[in-house]
Amino acid sequence: MSPTSLVPAGFVPPVDGKTATVEEFRAAVRAWLDEHAAGLAKPADHSLDAEVAQLGKVRRALFDAGWMRYGWPVEAGGLGGPDVLRAVLGEEVAARDLTDATNYSLVEVLAPTMISYAKGELAAEMLPWLLSGREQWCQGFSEPGSGSDLASLTTRALQREDGAWVVNGQKVWTSLAQYAQRCVLLTRTAPGHAGITAFFVDMDTPGITVRPLRTMHGVDEFAEVFFDDVVVPHERMLGKEGDGWSLAMDLLPYERSTCFWHRITYLFTRLDRLVADADTDGSEPTATTDAAVGAAYLALHTVRCRSRNTQRRLAAGANLGPETSVDKILLATAEQLLSNTARDVLPGVIELADSDWRTEYLYSRAATIYGGTAEIQRNIVARRLLNLGKD
Amino acid sequence: MDAEERELLAEALRGTMTATPAGAALDAALAEVGWEDLLAQEPEVAVPLVFSLLGETGAHASLVNDVLLAAAGQPVGGTVALPYAGGRQVVWERADAGGDGGVLDAALPLRAVDPDAADGGKAAADPVALAAGRRALGWWLVGTGRAMLDLARTHALDRTQFGKPIAAFQAVRHRLAETYVALEGAEATLTVAEDELGCLLAKAAAGQAALDAARHCQQVLGGIGFTAEHALHHHIRRALVLDGLLGNTRELTRQAGALIRAQRAAPRLAQL
Repeated sequence: MSPTSLVPAGFVPPVDGKTATVEEFRAAVRAWLDEHAAGLAKPADHSLDAEVAQLGKVRRALFDAGWMRYGWPVEAGGLGGPDVLRAVLGEEVAARDLTDATNYSLVEVLAPTMISYAKGELAAEMLPWLLSGREQWCQGFSEPGSGSDLASLTTRALQREDGAWVVNGQKVWTSLAQYAQRCVLLTRTAPGHAGITAFFVDMDTPGITVRPLRTMHGVDEFAEVFFDDVVVPHERMLGKEGDGWSLAMDLLPYERSTCFWHRITYLFTRLDRLVADADTDGSEPTATTDAAVGAAYLALHTVRCRSRNTQRRLAAGANLGPETSVDKILLATAEQLLSNTARDVLPGVIELADSDWRTEYLYSRAATIYGGTAEIQRNIVARRLLNLGKD
Repeated sequence: MDAEERELLAEALRGTMTATPAGAALDAALAEVGWEDLLAQEPEVAVPLVFSLLGETGAHASLVNDVLLAAAGQPVGGTVALPYAGGRQVVWERADAGGDGGVLDAALPLRAVDPDAADGGKAAADPVALAAGRRALGWWLVGTGRAMLDLARTHALDRTQFGKPIAAFQAVRHRLAETYVALEGAEATLTVAEDELGCLLAKAAAGQAALDAARHCQQVLGGIGFTAEHALHHHIRRALVLDGLLGNTRELTRQAGALIRAQRAAPRLAQL
């Protein structure tokens, strides 16, 4: 299966990704999105099934038109150009509220992993299936006994005499696992950090059971995944035996740059909505509401400025490291402040009406937990950025 | 100016600020090393550098007058009546503080003036000048915050209790991390502060970060940080006074909220 087989016949790239400026690229994306607005609009159905179907539809349309392929290497089925083009595309998609920003951004952590670690032609063969929305992929990292202490994971992979690997164990908090055709899976092949090995696993392999988790905010986007004697070919190992920990660490810069930029864009759309909704209420003095809304804006503006600078450092070729924990702390704080403010200035709306604000508010409670807890981030800042030594 | 030249300039300015008594003498010394030309020719280098160094070294000079005057297109060197929190006004004299005990940070030659009688002049009424002043004070506040963080960090590593440095305790580490994050966030807003709203938000973020730094660092420093013999209190006084100058974080945050509610949309000032 060649990567080009998924590209529509007669495809012509809409812009030259290597020479287009950010402004030119943005203008071209906007014009295209405006032209196709009716066909891409989010359905009224808010179910997760509908959301995932919409995600696939938007990705497919963006892939077929070429937009989804910019910022990814030509060798992997992309159209080349700098990473920042993906940030711009995601920003425009999030600003129009076409898909859930978090789900949309999963590509940002999965695709770079494949490009850096997959053997031979695997990345080129598989990535277009993800980028074109034909497939969903998931990330099997956390386990019931390994949350913050990810390196203690115990899902075991043992090599058989024929070279294939047999996986046994359990993953949890695996986003969209029930929709996923593939999984980037971390397993243990030996003790310690150097004993973690990653595989690219087909989710229809016998022995895999997915059980969606009912969450507080009512969206079953996370799942438990059970592995019982699941056989994985050796060619599906990502990197070498023991490369799993570096793989997990290498994707942090992507998660904390482009994904964050998308998320921040989404949160600004919610701030705009809050400003509009707050006008109609009038149950508290104007100055009080102004102060609360201003504080939420200031927090979001701050993380947006920080994230813009991170994007610029990335574009200048910098290696992102522990300083991205600052971005993560600012984002989680701003996200929770925004929802808290919504609850404050729209009294009763979250408690008494089944509104989007209720979902937003409840989901935002997880912002200081997923992707490395608030405490872990502060530990990293203290240890790595302030050089306070071991705790 | 390339990175190396900037580094040399920073070293020279730091030397001047630490070797010269703060106030009128430092005004004169900075004039000697070319502050006015630097402000006129490369304000985007001069302002962040000079004002953050004032904060980090704990020095002070009356340069905020120049920033407003230059932005208003007027000759520098004079004074402007400056808006202060609560509808007050102050003048930052180009002289040493009289020590009359009126201002919390007694080292600063600040004099409250009657806002009804005072003529703020064109500079203080000019929104561009006000924005430039807020941006400069934002850099100063972040510098002051970094000075406090440095003191608290050193103390946390030196001070031993229960048989280990208090920096080993997570409760202490997290306060210092919190301070660092607030200062880094505020600095990011300063790098994006170009228009009026950007400068307003940056001053608000910087004021908040400096106040957070004061709170966390004083707690980490424990008893010694409450004494006059430790340097911390100078920085805390400075942060509190500078926060009020040209509008405090509380007022500016409220203004930002009023603005986006009136516009029914929150401007995205930072762009890729």
